Amino acid sequence: MREAPILVVGAGPAGASAAATIAEAGLPVLLIEQRDQLGGAIHRQPAAGNEEHVWRPARHRRNWAALTARLQASAERIEIRTETIFLGVDSEGRFLFDDRHEACVFARRPRAAIIAVGAIETIRPFPGWELPGVMTAGGAQVLLKETGRPPEGPILLAGGGPLLPALAAQLAKAGNPPVAVLERGRPWNAPAALARLALSWAPMSEAAAYAAALAASRVPYRCGAVVTQAEPDGDGLKVSIRVGETQEPLLVRHLLIHDGIAPNRTGIPLPDPDGAVPILLAGDGREALGADAAILDGRRAAMQVLARLGHAERGAPSDERGLQRARDFQATLARALQAEPIVPPPETLICRCEGRSHADLAALAPDASAREIRLMGRFGLGACQGRFCGPMIAALRGQPLPTASPPRWPLRPVSVAALARLTIDETE
Amino acid sequence: MTSHFFWNGGPVAFRSGETIAAALLRAGITDLGRPSATPGGRVFCGIGACQGCVIAVAGAAPVEACLTPAREGLRLGPLPAIGAEHA
Ligand SMILES: Cc1cc2nc3c(=O)[nH]c(=O)nc-3n(C[C@H](O)[C@H](O)[C@H](O)COP(=O)(O)OP(=O)(O)OC[C@H]3O[C@@H](n4cnc5c(N)ncnc54)[C@H](O)[C@@H]3O)c2cc1C
Ligand code: FES
Repeated sequence: MREAPILVVGAGPAGASAAATIAEAGLPVLLIEQRDQLGGAIHRQPAAGNEEHVWRPARHRRNWAALTARLQASAERIEIRTETIFLGVDSEGRFLFDDRHEACVFARRPRAAIIAVGAIETIRPFPGWELPGVMTAGGAQVLLKETGRPPEGPILLAGGGPLLPALAAQLAKAGNPPVAVLERGRPWNAPAALARLALSWAPMSEAAAYAAALAASRVPYRCGAVVTQAEPDGDGLKVSIRVGETQEPLLVRHLLIHDGIAPNRTGIPLPDPDGAVPILLAGDGREALGADAAILDGRRAAMQVLARLGHAERGAPSDERGLQRARDFQATLARALQAEPIVPPPETLICRCEGRSHADLAALAPDASAREIRLMGRFGLGACQGRFCGPMIAALRGQPLPTASPPRWPLRPVSVAALARLTIDETE
Repeated sequence: MTSHFFWNGGPVAFRSGETIAAALLRAGITDLGRPSATPGGRVFCGIGACQGCVIAVAGAAPVEACLTPAREGLRLGPLPAIGAEHA
């Protein structure tokens, strides 16, 4: 009989770090990744034959090289399944997966599970955010890393947060600098926060490199500037911009939006570190602290699982300190870039999947429960299961929208044909 | 060597290892429109979360264009009106 593995879902920095740590302790690992390659959001690998590598800090490249070397060194203990989507846990406690390559669903009973599925970008809605041609900045960035080529035609970046200047610099280096970067915050109004940020050497030297690239390509970085509307215009988009009191139009081909990241928790099993099958979350999917912290957090989750299974002591205190530093940094950054919420006009789509607007949301009772928002408002019922409208609704109503608990699988639509070929592996 | 898949019957070139989303965007195809009241499909999040890029595949289950590697000869189209042209 084979020994049941420790399941790790997601092969970004957190999942890779967790898988390596467990395999190095001598236990078998089942590493599940929905893409055809490992790497996650930050280390999205270039497609085969793409020599045009996107510019990024050497530190990140070194970190990923170290993680892949560790995975390779323990390869005989790590079963890697790519193009395989974790669907959730069924009522019998089986973990279900959709193998897209083989077009079949399979079930496993791991000894423990570490879920490291990363973050999702947050979006602040405006009329037109739902149009084709509008993408998230992170989504555009992973495509740029994959193809090595920027999208053609004028690009506008808008929203808030450090991913915007980073992507702008990468687009500029790849040959298509954006027409502008619009940052809704006004960091110069928060000098205390800026001064604190200046003390964080690695991210700040990264920011300085991005700023230099923007200056060299003459990309304007405008603070206190927001997109108020986008409309289709021929092959592109007519975007209305507000800077202070002035409103101006801009014609672009691509509008890339982003307002930070939040853990991807929709449909993800609740953490249960002390359960019969311990379930832990790790990386940005537990707490959005960024790439460096994700490596520490993956190891921390792995150490916790090993301790539970009687294989090691609890995690290293240096990991906790590193995570706290990342937490402080993110909090200071949020203070520096904080911006007043804007109430979008009534016609603004909130739920894109089901075509539900801000007016539809406003028509619900102010104290409507999550269930009423779902069933009467028909919000969060579409294919994305509220991954994007959930945070928008929470921001507009000023309180988080409780998700269905316990989460019900599948957390991603699955084909009936694949489900019909369900294979169950009872290894325990 | 370039390979092709088909979007609404028209050939779209891709490089080996690329996702369907990357190839469609390079070909200038951003509207993955579907014939219904809700807005058309599009690549948005790039990481399999928004489901905006789910497209129909002739003879197989729908897939997220942003997660799925392009493969030679795939016949793709918007949801859910495939069938007729591709049966
Ligand atoms: C689109 C995007 C772009 C980003 N770009 C950067 C950047 O350039 N620089 C930076 O510092 N930070 C970036 N971030 C922040 C980033 O989340 C962290 O820096 C870091 O990648 C977090 O590591 P992680 O391992 O926690 O998650 P991730 O790196 O996101 O890894 C999660 C992995 O889980 C997989 N997965 C998700 N759901 C499932 C499922 N159901 N079944 C199977 N596999 C699944 C994903 O495909 C992914 O490989 C980005 C975030 C996003 C969302
Ligand atoms: S673009 Fe969001 S799921 Fe593919």
